[in-house]
Amino acid sequence: MADTVTFTLNDKNVTVPKGWTVMQAAKQAQVDIPHFCWHPGLSVAGVCRFCMVHVQGARKLEIACNLQATEGMIVRTDTPEVKEAHKWGLEFHLINHPLDCPVCDQAGECGLQDFYMQVGKYKSQMTRPKVLKPKAVDLGPRLILDTERCILCSRCVRFEEEVTKTGALGIFDRGDRAIIGTYGEEKIEHNYQENLVDVCPVGAFTSKKFRFKQRVWFLQEKSSICPGCSTGCKIKVHARTDRRTYYRVKPEIDETVNGFWMCDKGRDTIAHLNREHRLPQSQMRIDGKKQTVPTAQALESLRRAIETAGAEETALLVSAHYTVEEYEAFFHYFCDQLGVTKVYQWRAETEDRDSFDGILLRGDENPNTAGLRAAMRRVKGRTVPIKNEIATCVSKKPKVVVALCPEVPFTSPWFQEDLKQLAGISHVSLWTCRYEATEVAGITSWIPMKGFAEKTGHFLNYEGAKRELQEAFPSATAEALSVVEAVQQMAAIATITTETATL
Amino acid sequence: MEFTKILTRFENIPNSRALATYEKHGGYEAAKKALTQTREEIITLVKDSGLRGRGGAGFPTGLKWSFVPKTADTVYLLCNNDEGEPGTFKDRYILELSPHMLIEGMIIAAHAIGAKKAYIYTRCEFYDEIRWMNEAIAEAYQAGYLGKNLFGTNVQVDLDHYIGAGAYICGEETGLISSLEGKKGQPKLKPPFPAISGYLGKPTIVNNTETLAAVPWIITHGAAAHRAMGTEKSPGTKLFCVSGPVKKPGVFERPLGYPLKKLIFEDAGGMLDGKQLKAVIPGGASAPVLLPAEIETLTLDYEAIAAAGSMLGSGAVMVIPHDQPMMELLRILVNFFHHESCGQCTPCREGTGWLASVVQGVEEKTATPEDVEKLYQIAVHMEGRTICALSDAAAMPTKAITRKFADELKRSIRGI
Repeated sequence: MADTVTFTLNDKNVTVPKGWTVMQAAKQAQVDIPHFCWHPGLSVAGVCRFCMVHVQGARKLEIACNLQATEGMIVRTDTPEVKEAHKWGLEFHLINHPLDCPVCDQAGECGLQDFYMQVGKYKSQMTRPKVLKPKAVDLGPRLILDTERCILCSRCVRFEEEVTKTGALGIFDRGDRAIIGTYGEEKIEHNYQENLVDVCPVGAFTSKKFRFKQRVWFLQEKSSICPGCSTGCKIKVHARTDRRTYYRVKPEIDETVNGFWMCDKGRDTIAHLNREHRLPQSQMRIDGKKQTVPTAQALESLRRAIETAGAEETALLVSAHYTVEEYEAFFHYFCDQLGVTKVYQWRAETEDRDSFDGILLRGDENPNTAGLRAAMRRVKGRTVPIKNEIATCVSKKPKVVVALCPEVPFTSPWFQEDLKQLAGISHVSLWTCRYEATEVAGITSWIPMKGFAEKTGHFLNYEGAKRELQEAFPSATAEALSVVEAVQQMAAIATITTETATL
Repeated sequence: MEFTKILTRFENIPNSRALATYEKHGGYEAAKKALTQTREEIITLVKDSGLRGRGGAGFPTGLKWSFVPKTADTVYLLCNNDEGEPGTFKDRYILELSPHMLIEGMIIAAHAIGAKKAYIYTRCEFYDEIRWMNEAIAEAYQAGYLGKNLFGTNVQVDLDHYIGAGAYICGEETGLISSLEGKKGQPKLKPPFPAISGYLGKPTIVNNTETLAAVPWIITHGAAAHRAMGTEKSPGTKLFCVSGPVKKPGVFERPLGYPLKKLIFEDAGGMLDGKQLKAVIPGGASAPVLLPAEIETLTLDYEAIAAAGSMLGSGAVMVIPHDQPMMELLRILVNFFHHESCGQCTPCREGTGWLASVVQGVEEKTATPEDVEKLYQIAVHMEGRTICALSDAAAMPTKAITRKFADELKRSIRGI
């Protein structure tokens, strides 16, 4: 018991670990305390002065973010004095804010808007001209800063100090002339820029990629895992299902792996999911000409090719971009049922798998290397060393190759070059969600695959931790299949074929 | 009437700043005595003396010293010589009279809290005082009063002099620490308090120049002698800076509990001919203004002035004559705090700007009489809401002026 304290929060008994603040306790107890500068992933600044609470016996209101919960403490967030402090706290934040919500990307997910509805709803007393400050400041390849919208909560400054440790941002000048900025003309160029957009509770930092693209209330969110590297950050993918268009990726809190953050590369992993980059339907090369065909036809043709060549002349070339569930279905069908034994990994020839940027990004840019290895260990009966085996695959001169292609384009720039090595093989079936870079001589069929945001399942990250793709969007292209679905469809065709043969 | 003088005892002594003069009058004897005593003995003595911080808050000095963890390996003593409260010019007077008194007080205080390193933080505008202080430090090192093995003991006190860059907020103790650390002068969030985690994250005591300069006298004469002066809760003497249209403005050392009217009308010679008293700010720019009726029997001690709704603060008594427009006074005050707000806490950053802007509206002839009440309301909600007291310092005088002179302010808005 000595490790916890129990105190009263709005008549409710709350027990939390010793050392927790009232703010942390309130979050756990789901009691809303309005705040701007406090962020669970950053140090306590205590500057917005918004999270005022009443503590019985205290001379004045206290800020919840820097108030340690102590045994028997009696805290209220709903006294008239507290409510008045919240209203005025918000008024102070808003008097110099431009209130340009109609053109602000943050509108709809803005702390100022949310708290105005929650604790504000006053008529502003401000009748004087507002303080004017620099707008649309270009701060980096992905960042635009509006210093008028800024409420100087210092979250971004602390992020740069504590997370990237670059200390790239500072608050310059003082009083109501204070502005956020970099030193001199410097730009922020690290791989974690967009976290600044995330930590910013208002619309001061906006993302160049997302700016003016979409109102956030039209977006749907689905919880998934970033496929950009082997860390496996938990993310939320934001898309408009009515337009079947993906707009952005945000990190989702996961204290065991990515905390509150993700890298900018990871945010680019949705680019290939939109329709213009996708293989829309199955295709086959018939008489030297590429033609759109029903998926069933392409799969049936593959099935026949395997039957003709024999399982021993068939090879599987597998990238580490698919889920554990997909590998299971894939190997179960091809290896256990059809008897294929030639299984090869497909990945970058040269990559520094051990490299790590000290924050989140790892040198192994495949999300499921561990999952693929585990699956291959099962079918091959031995542990395979991690390397690109396409050359070995080709050297075995298989007649049929089924290739599970890498999904994320920027982590597999070698994709097209590698494909060229398959030119001499009589039947090559590419299972891919990508359209670009697959136009290579010698490919027989193309099966459209779902992207990571369009399927559920799990990856195993660099340390073997289970990373669950919890929710799936409907695919941006109607005919895309997960590997599981493709295998099921192929098995079903095969059954029909066999039955037909028996008749 | 003569008073015992502690801080101004070198007044009228020629060449008072020189070490030789200071030594001739018993200089460094108190430090020599104190260094044979234990830390606890000194802290107890200073606690018993009732000495309270002279920077404005009046926190008991001995108690503050006792907060330093006994087991701490590195402790710092900082002297707050960043005298910036408008109307205050007492610390510079100590440096003008006897910088060695401050050094001696710092040696004793450093020993009491276990600090081997001490800093004086002086505002850059004190051009001469900086030079005098530097000369005194050099003399003290030369004579072996600073450095290692002081007075044959194993006590070490090194003293450095740091010059600020002109920000009022660096006179706030944690703002001063930030500045000394080489950072932007911004107060730090408390807790932790400096006595636990201050300069460079180490236990740190920050005392005002006047507080530290009073310590040698207390060591020499004892706690009872100090308590014999002043009131029960505000013992000792205090420097009062009288400014405004009086015949003899200046610094006066008087026992605490001294009548304010006597200070103004007798010691400072009363109002200049043709001027009548309109109001008094008793403790620096941040202290609420008092009306003549409120100071009739008012005495200059922490409790009495607090009871009257103002504060003793730094002891800066600003006399306001009958022909001073209060809107103008308010404008000067809010502009000062607007200019000096560090900007980290929202109510202060936005509030000081808002106050200044509303007052600016009077000049622009866009203000309305309702703005007087608005100023009051803004001030009310700036108070007690921030990390440091600058927001309160702007709010308190604004509240007092807008309440006590509401009619006059409204008239000046209407232009009559």
